[in-house]
Amino acid sequence: MDVEAKRIMALSISKLYSLRTQRGGLRLHRSLLLSMTMRAARDIYHTAQLLRDAEEEQVVPCAPDAATEEPMEITKDSPQTLTPKEVAMKPQEPIDAVEDDKENRCASERHSRKRHCKTAIEPDFLPLKKAKMDTDEEKQHLPGEVLRTNNGNSYRQAESLTAFPANRAIVAY
Amino acid sequence: MAGAGGGGNDVQWCFSQVKGAIDDDVAEADIISTVEFNHSGELLATGDKGGRVVIFQQETENKSQSQFRSEYNVYSTFQSHEPEFDYLKSLEIEEKINKIRWLPQKNAAQFLLSTNDKTIKLWKISERDKRPEGYNLKEEDGRYRDAATITTLRVPVFRPMDLMVEASPRRVFANAHTYHINSISVNSDNETYLSADDLRINLWHLEITDRSFNIVDIKPANMEELTEVITAAEFHPHQCNTFVYSSSKGTIRLCDMRASALCDKHSKLFEEPEDPSNRSFFSEIISSISDVKFSHNGRYMMTRDYLSVKIWDLNMENRPVETYQVHEYLRSKLCSLYENDCIFDKFECCWNGNDSVVMTGSYNNFFRMLDRSQRRDVTLEASRESCKPRQVLKPRRVCAGGKRKKDEISVDSLDFNKKILHTAWHPQENIIAVATTNNLYIFQEKVN
Repeated sequence: MDVEAKRIMALSISKLYSLRTQRGGLRLHRSLLLSMTMRAARDIYHTAQLLRDAEEEQVVPCAPDAATEEPMEITKDSPQTLTPKEVAMKPQEPIDAVEDDKENRCASERHSRKRHCKTAIEPDFLPLKKAKMDTDEEKQHLPGEVLRTNNGNSYRQAESLTAFPANRAIVAY
Repeated sequence: MAGAGGGGNDVQWCFSQVKGAIDDDVAEADIISTVEFNHSGELLATGDKGGRVVIFQQETENKSQSQFRSEYNVYSTFQSHEPEFDYLKSLEIEEKINKIRWLPQKNAAQFLLSTNDKTIKLWKISERDKRPEGYNLKEEDGRYRDAATITTLRVPVFRPMDLMVEASPRRVFANAHTYHINSISVNSDNETYLSADDLRINLWHLEITDRSFNIVDIKPANMEELTEVITAAEFHPHQCNTFVYSSSKGTIRLCDMRASALCDKHSKLFEEPEDPSNRSFFSEIISSISDVKFSHNGRYMMTRDYLSVKIWDLNMENRPVETYQVHEYLRSKLCSLYENDCIFDKFECCWNGNDSVVMTGSYNNFFRMLDRSQRRDVTLEASRESCKPRQVLKPRRVCAGGKRKKDEISVDSLDFNKKILHTAWHPQENIIAVATTNNLYIFQEKVN
């Protein structure tokens, strides 16, 4: 589910960017809808990420911060307040197959501290000039039954999203 | 000619006319952005992305014949809005006509309001079929006569000429909207009208252009707290003090201008609780109302959101009295529709003359007729393949999944670039105007 969430988040951000260059000026209605969707996806994604990190106990330089971190605050949607600085880059697959790797995850966590200063940093969800390589993505996935639900009329997996079940038991990897 | 008394499914719809270029290469300026019949139905106006207005007039000959097939022919074409540049904000203002609304006819001339994102204009459309001839000082071609040759005095007389239809801008209502205008609505008092943008609604007097009254303002003090915008607004058809506006959150507010000068507090709030089982990333987007229309009798209003049409009784706020699914098979496709931006499409809806049937558009050039009295619905298509004169439209069916029957079209084969956003229904007769991307189709009830 967080895969979908990240994809939707990335999609929303790129759409928000393209809105700025559209003829006729910034469309308030469209920006509002895009930013709401982006925030919903972001919240799901980050919460899933936090839960996953808490469970997996992987040793990464900023891991201690991850466990005690507070949930992301919902701030004004602007690209400057989002997301992490790019860390050392590796080749990356196209935007809709973007997955986590250890360094990005770490960078995400680190960014939450950076966010308080609202540094202008480039989001990692946009089509990057530098490429990153997917690593270990399979290991990061939560088992599908935890977050992925559909009410039976969706043939697309993970299309519909119910309220995030933060209190569900997560199978330890 | 039968009135609009027949239900949508007793009526068989036939092709009548199609206006616009045939070729598939659509110029962006030709994309139709609004369609509106006038109050008698004799005139049909369209606005396009290029800022032009084209008015069609119904032929009035042969009305008494039973085989009466009224045709609409071009009556007037004019450039209503031009692209502008706001130097202060470094913004280009699109010339696209967002809405056209006709004024009720008071004299020989016709009047309509047309608006783009920022400016509303009142246009007068008048006919000229006579011209004065026989001036003393000038020849017919305009050259001045030699004074020495003038020996008698004559009185100029009016002589018939070929009909000329002139459109002239009588009022320009500008600089009142910071955000993009989405609606205009003429009041039943025939003196005032409202214009609505994303956050504000202004009340104008048709005669006064340098001033308007702000009657609704939902702009928060801190724009970061913005959670909803105004998506459409309309005056009640009979009560000149009442209007409604819809929001991006799926709510409709009814306001009474007698209550206070600023109508931020609604008199009624129409909202249906969300079905939690349908919650998704895109719930917010698909619940945004794209159009709101009062019924002709003023007792109901209809709203259109992405997947459904809802009919509300003005006396019941907690839920609609009727809900119709327009294209429920799209619910599982919302993610793809988000990717290709189709989920943001703003479909309009309209009532027939006696409020028994409502119509709205969909994709693949399909449009839906929803019969309220018979609780039936039909899907029809506006296509060049069904363009033979008086050809009856065949109902279309979309296969949502599983085995596709013969004559059904599967969801994946739908062309999402072919969308019908704008439709209009003649106020008295069963004649409908359906706008595809750059063509206007006119369909009529089959007359035996």
